[in-house]
Amino acid sequence: MGALLTVDDVHVRYGDLVALREVSLSVAQGEVVCIIGPNGAGKSTLLAAVAGGVTPWRGAIRFGDVDVVGIRPEVVARQGLSLVPEGRHIFGTLTVDENLRIGGFIHKGRADAKADYERLLELFPRLRERLNFPAGRLSGGEQQMLAVARAVMTRPRLLLVDEPSLGLAPRIVDQIYEILLDLRRREGLTLVINEQSSNRILKHADRIYVLRGGRIQLEGRAADLADGEAIRSAYFGFGSPATLEGVAP
Amino acid sequence: MRDFLIRHQTPALLVAGLVIAAALGVLTGNETAQVTLTEMFIRLVVVIGLWVFIGNSGIISFGHIGFMGIGAYAAAWATAEPSFKQIMLSGLPVFLQENQYPFVFAILGATLLPALVALLLGAALMRLAGTAASIATFAVLMIVNSVYANWDSVTAGSSSIIGIPTVVGPWVAVGFAAGAVITAYLFQISRLGLMLRASRDDEVAARASAVEVKRMRLVAFVLSAAIAGAGGGLYAQFLGILTVDPFYLGLTFITLAMLVVGGMSSLSGAVAGVFAVTIIVELLRLAERGVPFGSVTVGLPLGSQEIGLGVLMALILIFRPNGLSNGRELVWPRRAPTDEAAARKAPSAALAGEAAPSP
Repeated sequence: MGALLTVDDVHVRYGDLVALREVSLSVAQGEVVCIIGPNGAGKSTLLAAVAGGVTPWRGAIRFGDVDVVGIRPEVVARQGLSLVPEGRHIFGTLTVDENLRIGGFIHKGRADAKADYERLLELFPRLRERLNFPAGRLSGGEQQMLAVARAVMTRPRLLLVDEPSLGLAPRIVDQIYEILLDLRRREGLTLVINEQSSNRILKHADRIYVLRGGRIQLEGRAADLADGEAIRSAYFGFGSPATLEGVAP
Repeated sequence: MRDFLIRHQTPALLVAGLVIAAALGVLTGNETAQVTLTEMFIRLVVVIGLWVFIGNSGIISFGHIGFMGIGAYAAAWATAEPSFKQIMLSGLPVFLQENQYPFVFAILGATLLPALVALLLGAALMRLAGTAASIATFAVLMIVNSVYANWDSVTAGSSSIIGIPTVVGPWVAVGFAAGAVITAYLFQISRLGLMLRASRDDEVAARASAVEVKRMRLVAFVLSAAIAGAGGGLYAQFLGILTVDPFYLGLTFITLAMLVVGGMSSLSGAVAGVFAVTIIVELLRLAERGVPFGSVTVGLPLGSQEIGLGVLMALILIFRPNGLSNGRELVWPRRAPTDEAAARKAPSAALAGEAAPSP
């Protein structure tokens, strides 16, 4: 299976600060890939680089057959790559209904935008109850669901979700994950999800990358990493004696 | 028909309110009241123009009075006496110098010329964001003012253009005010307006949803300049005499004050602000003139008008930061308690499954 997304030797700098270095990863069609790492590891920067929010200083990013480096976010979105930014970016003064419709505007005059809309509301019954609500008045979990639903309305081939669990109760996070995985089962959606914690991820992801200090520290199949030991040491930079030898001064 | 009216009740109610105000003014038969009303409706057109851009994009513009001025001069060029134009405005193209065009053409010119200027300037300006964009619009105002104050052969410079037929009264003005309200409403609910309001709420998310933010802003900028220009065209044909002076800081700030007082995120707010500020200013003006008590006249000192307006704005910003409308649209009272009330009644239900509500 060919890779849907390839990130090759990407470096991102904010002025003098190097946020990402030598980052390479690939995501195959239909895969669920999780990127985990502590605060400030560069996870959001990585997704922003893929979605066109920041331009890498070096390296290549290919989405399907298209080189997306230096392409503006609104154009990348039209290619079928949708980012749910960190921190629930919803349109607060617009209603839930309007938020969702904007997601569908990407396909001009498409007849089945209406069908997409109905199908989504089945996945998100709580949103259906609040269609005429200003989105800013929804609870945190509902806002996160709305952000995901709006991204799905663009009918992406690849959905990037930046820390969907941020500031939400575990039960709500479970619901959001269920919906995301349901979308993958039903429509073969490819997912890249950023998280700070690995517990939930290990159950759901196919593959995992651990990012720390702007570098990929570890890459592997979730099944092989299930005991969590290797992840812990890569995440914290210490842990098991085996890796301690490698990194200790 | 009933459903249509319910769905579009906001513009319907606003237009009805405007027409009633005009009718009341005309019925009094009072000359001053009619002049005040006419001027208010013209300002309403300009403020609606401002709102189309500011309200939907969230970017403050200080430049729109410049577009109003461009519109006013365009109307004056079309309608002033040819004999005057040939002597005083020798720089005008011959077709303008030799002819006197009817009202409709004058308004058309007053709409199209500012729109064209806004398109050219906006293509550059809309690349800026936030405060930088606002200050750049202020530069537009200054440039328009300098050009029109000094281009003697076309604008008569610091002297005035005279001989413009005064055809705008309360009915014409209210007709345009209603037209502006409807145009602005259609834009607000259009796909374009929706995308622009989305970018106002969250630009990052809007771009991630493939919204071409700059292009949307440019469209709104051009449309709003066209409406403000039409307001200028009306103003010229209301006064009958035109100078550059009114189209500068004073009017810029009073129109922005109207928008702030009413609440700039809703169309109803823009209309409410124009009414509220006009009424306050007129009352203060009356108070300045004074009330006779026998042989003495008791009145407020000169300048109370400006101070009063300043105090009013400060009070509104303190107690109702979203303006008189509080960011909501006008709806018929019986229909109002739908979603809003349900939301207030059951906030616990909305948060029930949630340990950590949104920050």
